[in-house]
Amino acid sequence: MIEVQNLTKRYGAVPAVDNISFTAHPGQVTGFLGPNGAGKTTTMRMLTGYMPPTSGRALVAGYDVFEQSLEVRRRVGYLPENVPLYRDMTALGYLMYIGEIRGIPNRRDKAYEVLEQVKLADRANSRIRTLSKGMRQRVGLAQALLHDPEVLILDEPTIGLDPLQVLELRELVRELGKNHTVLFSTHILSEAEQVCDSVVIIHRGTIVAQGSPSELRSTLERGGRVFVRTNAPAETALPRLQQLAQVAQVEAGLDGVIITPADPNADPRPAIARAVLENGWDLIELRPLAVNLEEIFLELTRAPEAAAEAEPTPESEVVA
Amino acid sequence: MSAIFAVFKRELALYFRSPIAYAVAFAMLLFLGILFNGNLAQSVAFNVSVAQQGGGGVTASDLNLAPALITFLMFLIGPLLTMRLLAEEAREGTIEVLMTLPMNEAQFIIGKFLAVWSYYTVLLLLTVIYHLILTLVGVPDAGVAFGAYLGAWLYGGAVLAICMIWSAVTEDQIVAAFLSAATVLVLYLAEVAAVSLTGSPTLANAAGFVRELGLQAHFGATLANGIIRAEDIAYFVLMMIGALFITTRIVETRRWRA
Repeated sequence: MIEVQNLTKRYGAVPAVDNISFTAHPGQVTGFLGPNGAGKTTTMRMLTGYMPPTSGRALVAGYDVFEQSLEVRRRVGYLPENVPLYRDMTALGYLMYIGEIRGIPNRRDKAYEVLEQVKLADRANSRIRTLSKGMRQRVGLAQALLHDPEVLILDEPTIGLDPLQVLELRELVRELGKNHTVLFSTHILSEAEQVCDSVVIIHRGTIVAQGSPSELRSTLERGGRVFVRTNAPAETALPRLQQLAQVAQVEAGLDGVIITPADPNADPRPAIARAVLENGWDLIELRPLAVNLEEIFLELTRAPEAAAEAEPTPESEVVA
Repeated sequence: MSAIFAVFKRELALYFRSPIAYAVAFAMLLFLGILFNGNLAQSVAFNVSVAQQGGGGVTASDLNLAPALITFLMFLIGPLLTMRLLAEEAREGTIEVLMTLPMNEAQFIIGKFLAVWSYYTVLLLLTVIYHLILTLVGVPDAGVAFGAYLGAWLYGGAVLAICMIWSAVTEDQIVAAFLSAATVLVLYLAEVAAVSLTGSPTLANAAGFVRELGLQAHFGATLANGIIRAEDIAYFVLMMIGALFITTRIVETRRWRA
């Protein structure tokens, strides 16, 4: 269980993470999604006790990350973004070293067990420098699993892997999610959609959306932009559609028209469909612009600029 | 406690696999060997002439030759042995994993320090061979030798702890080494600075203070000659504790700002 409440981290005056709150539940993989530089790593570093928050608090496995850092560290397995390892050590030697610092009693058995789990037992005595990127990633993951943590925090674990390794790793993360609390960061949306039970989308240090992948999609289908394709030429279709009360803005898209609804909580599609038919055009396609997380994500992260652009346009008010 | 021991074991093992540690040992032993050989030949010749006049024995300067030379060489040995210790962990990012384990900075740094001090102790013990050679040519004063070795051991510990500060400050090993060497040289030369201060009309009072701050004031005239004073031992021990404390705080703040 990870509970984050109003967590903020500032570097000087610049907020890297600004007042975020979310919860990651046990038995679930929570995806932490955002473009590079959104504040994912900073948040994870605060949750693992590596870095103190500027304000707000976070409970990991029931302990405060700042007040009870050592208790948190005992219960968290962490795989940092670039998987730092000692290249001169063997995979087994590295795990034994971490196990000794953690004070794990039967660490040799435990090290073999986790190497087995990440399918690396045959390379236990290879020096880490000789391992491929994917194997190193798995050594890092083995390190995070060594002490049977309640909570696993994985910072972009699939980055730099080949497609097959990515699939294997996602499978492993999904498997681990069944009996751990897993927080998994990524900037690849299809990955979050495949692996995660719930998704937190972070952009410029603030949470722009959270929920299950399907919830997020339905939210956007309701209030997001709509793509409509008719047989009418754009010059005639654009002004007619603009006149609709449900429509705030229209723009020409590829082979069709992209419509921004006036009320983000109402679905403008029925009105658009009627308008198309009333004008005597053929309706070829009518769908939410965002159909997968990739597009949902682009929709969400373009929102601030879109809102700023939409405000000064007076037409919508005239029509309304 | 097990965390300190785990860090200590790994680091010490690393010294015995590190080319730079062997290079330091080789250079130091070669340099000492040549000087010792020259010094011994000279001293034997001198002693023969003294013996012909009724005197005899080995002089005190022979006894502390190795430890005294090592304290002089510490401005090279210290930086070379410590530059990697913390700078590399920061550069490689491995410190991020370590600092999310149930271990605090102090345990981590004490483990590292004990490892480098142990390696230094091994180097120092290798030079005991020179003392054994002296026993073949005369009856050296064991008390002087013991004092000098104890002094060199504590002196080395203090220098290594001071050098660790710079390894914590920068991720660049070369920068760490240069800053360490400069710091150790300043502390080594404090006596020289004190002498020039004595001549100054306004700062003459500060001369004694500056002298006492330096490393040699607590070794050259006392421990090196077998005079074991509590204040000298306290000076070296406090230098170690102080430097390790500063190192710990630096690692902490770097992490907090990272």
